[in-house]
Amino acid sequence: MSTLCIRGGLVVDPQQGADSVRDLFVQDGRIVAPLPAVDEEIDATGCVVMAGGIDMHTHIGGGKVNLARLLLPEDHRNTPARPPSALELASCGSCTPGTLLTGYRYVEMGYTAAFEPAMMAANARHAHMEMGDTPILDHGAYVMLGNDELLLEMLARGEDFERIRDYTGWTINAAKAMGVKVVNPAGISAFKFNQRKLDVDEAHVHWQVTPRQVLQTLARALRELGVPHPLHVHGSNLGVAGNIESTLQTIQALEGLPAHLTHIQFHAYGNDGPKKFSSAALQLAEAVNAHPNISIDVGQIMFGQTVTASGDTMRQHAQSGFASPRKWIGADYEAEAGCGIVPFRYREQSYVNALQWAIGLEIFLLVKDPWRVVLTTDHPNGGPFTSYPHLIRLLMDRTFRNEQLAKLHPDVAANAALRSITRELSLNEIAIMTRAAPARLLGLRDRGHLGIGGAADVVIYRNATDREAMFTTPEHVFKDGTLVARHGRITATPVGGTHFVEPDYDRGIEKRLRKHFAEHGQVNFDHVAIGHDELCRCCNGGRLLPAACFEGQAT
Amino acid sequence: MAHGLRPTVLMSDLSVATRPWTCPFCPLLCDDFGVEAGADGALSLVGSACPRAGAALGRFSSPASAATPALQGQLCDLDTAITAAARLLAASRQPLFGGLGTDVAGARALYALACATGAICDAAQGQPLMQGVRALQDRGGFSTTLAELRTRADLVLCFGGLPTARHPEFLNRAGLAVDDPRLLVLAEGEGDDLFDAAARLAALIEGRAAAGAPAALAAAAQRLQAARYAVLVYETSRLGRNGALVIEMLQRVVATLNRSTRAATLALGGGDGAATVNQVFTWLSGLPLRSRLGPQGLEHEPLVFDAGRLCADGAVDLLLWVASFGTEAPPPPPNTLPRIVLGHPSLAGVAGTDADVFIPVATPGIGSDGHLFRTDGAVLMPLHPVRPETLPTVAEVLRRLSAALAVVSA
Repeated sequence: MSTLCIRGGLVVDPQQGADSVRDLFVQDGRIVAPLPAVDEEIDATGCVVMAGGIDMHTHIGGGKVNLARLLLPEDHRNTPARPPSALELASCGSCTPGTLLTGYRYVEMGYTAAFEPAMMAANARHAHMEMGDTPILDHGAYVMLGNDELLLEMLARGEDFERIRDYTGWTINAAKAMGVKVVNPAGISAFKFNQRKLDVDEAHVHWQVTPRQVLQTLARALRELGVPHPLHVHGSNLGVAGNIESTLQTIQALEGLPAHLTHIQFHAYGNDGPKKFSSAALQLAEAVNAHPNISIDVGQIMFGQTVTASGDTMRQHAQSGFASPRKWIGADYEAEAGCGIVPFRYREQSYVNALQWAIGLEIFLLVKDPWRVVLTTDHPNGGPFTSYPHLIRLLMDRTFRNEQLAKLHPDVAANAALRSITRELSLNEIAIMTRAAPARLLGLRDRGHLGIGGAADVVIYRNATDREAMFTTPEHVFKDGTLVARHGRITATPVGGTHFVEPDYDRGIEKRLRKHFAEHGQVNFDHVAIGHDELCRCCNGGRLLPAACFEGQAT
Repeated sequence: MAHGLRPTVLMSDLSVATRPWTCPFCPLLCDDFGVEAGADGALSLVGSACPRAGAALGRFSSPASAATPALQGQLCDLDTAITAAARLLAASRQPLFGGLGTDVAGARALYALACATGAICDAAQGQPLMQGVRALQDRGGFSTTLAELRTRADLVLCFGGLPTARHPEFLNRAGLAVDDPRLLVLAEGEGDDLFDAAARLAALIEGRAAAGAPAALAAAAQRLQAARYAVLVYETSRLGRNGALVIEMLQRVVATLNRSTRAATLALGGGDGAATVNQVFTWLSGLPLRSRLGPQGLEHEPLVFDAGRLCADGAVDLLLWVASFGTEAPPPPPNTLPRIVLGHPSLAGVAGTDADVFIPVATPGIGSDGHLFRTDGAVLMPLHPVRPETLPTVAEVLRRLSAALAVVSA
């Protein structure tokens, strides 16, 4: 296979240490030690070289994403037609583009992997199909637990923790997931019983189980199963003024167990001030700084039209009155989960939206350890992923940030703490938040860095003072050593691989599951688990990339 | 017809099969009964008396079909048929892909061919499918799934009548006996009158005056308001020309109920590949069926791109008809259009004789594996072959057709 040298670029590779100008060698899709001669050389003088970007929380595939596409033909019709390319199939949309366009757009921006955070076990085949039809990008998904009838029933009956742990392990294996996400712990189920709100220590009206119990149980189960990515938590009371209380209680409920709190911006609201809605970014940042077991992604909001697609039926129903345009979709799923799709337009002149924008940026800038902060907009919920370059500029350029702040609702522009924050993120910190940290948090050992033996997912950016332009259109993007984009144009469309984990568990649990599935009229138990061959077909023949589990730790 | 409640049968209790079978012949996609191939190769149901599945299985010859492709009624080999089909596609200025009776793999292959040819795509049951899509596009909605209904519903309102004629296993799947007190059948109105019934029900639920509302409707409204978790079930093919408006009204009922209690809809429809191809096209392109890749990019016309209408208006000059299940509605009546049919072998005698190109294909769930979306759209079911097959799958034929088209067009 061919060899390549990327010569003279500023290599920004936080896992390997400080930024340095050096040559990077690639052979057979891997980063290798310097070679005496190469087939191809790229002059990267004046360029910045990074590993491929990894988006660890982006709604790119599965039932609710496709419902969002169905709901908004107007968004899709209005996408500018792309110039024809023999390599690309037609695909459109801006908030929730077709899978084909999603793959092309991510790759053109220098991203080489993306993870769907909210896969329903019952919908896992569908999610893998869509991800398999997202070209070039490697992908994986977190399966949702914590609102399924079985887990709540097991907790309510006080069944042994080990049984729940085995059920968790079985579910991850069956759905071919990369981790587990809990969404509004017990709250989606509670909404099916007509409960409209659930605080961290409030009991589910039917099962009498609290979110705190669900969080502790799942976080501990993943720890004992040795799953690299800790529990992915979409907390209670999303979007509610004053929800910082719930968020701090969630952190406390985890009792030091590792967890990743996702789209934390939506969970960092106070209820101070005349409008009873205020930033709690400082409180949140202090809590994250004080709890090394916690990592976060931000879920920054960006102004403009988008659609919020969430598993949190309880909260989405509550927010559905704000839908713009005025339509929304909700669903209850298979005694297991739910979803809510609410289109939304974030407006600069809205006090609430302007403050949400400021809160997200404050979180980015106030949390000290960049290895525990991941750059996301919770695509498409805070804004489409295509806005990442703009977000990067906001974080790296204080002058630009304050200019944008000045355009917003006057009360926010005048009073936001953001105005006095002087921190500007470095290229190294951006590289951490967009590739190195997500790789580490997911347990991807050969991704997110450019060390010897790493996968040759490499991006070459022209170093420019306008960081938005720089990160919008890299010069070259390589996926496993293959040039896949050049100057924002797709040059090859290999099928991406599927990341998943296969933790060990006691198969004795399967008898119990078989009975439960039959009683609830779910699919035949023998149909639930996805085997390797079927996963490969779902994912369009892409490579299977099982990640290693660590030695499970009893807690 | 009355269907009693069948006790749950675990697959481990069935001696006939070690692997579950998924019935591909209606959108319930039942996987709790099986199919058995007799010594003569004939297929029969085991563990169910579903007449719809039984009739569909009866369309399969025994032993497995050795049908061959045909060119204007004359038997030919597959290569010849594919080359002829590619020439027709290359010469077409506006092809129509209809039927769409296939699975996810077939739909993936079909999308690539649709992009290459600028074809308009519409399912055999395009009207009910698009009524649901349009209601969603205009107003959204709140839906539920089979297992959720079975687990939670304390009231199941079958709007427009009991759905068991077209979906014989529905009550079994819902966990309801035909005389279950949770079951409420509202047969007010037929066809276009269903809109009046739905609108009056919505008015009653909202506490508005509903002049002339029959007593049964008023009683139904009261029961809906008293229920803790009500499910409104309707069959998409039964709603008439104003189906999208009927669905909107039913969604209004649900939305109003959800302010104070819990409710959701469950639509029965989208079988024969229609909902599956719609899902796949939506995720690949961003737009549902009744779309095409035109000179200005992707175009979506839920009313104009109606297959029957396009054929009647002479707005298309070639029909590629895909019907691998054998249960699809028949193609538009033959006229001057050249036709390429990828179909169940039994179509050779029906649609095949006057087709320019007929290519018999395997049926997912009988001769090949595959995946189909269940009626609630939440679950993508795996299908398994029940006997060896010599016929190619729709996906294989379409991939070869795409390759042949590239050669012919070059």
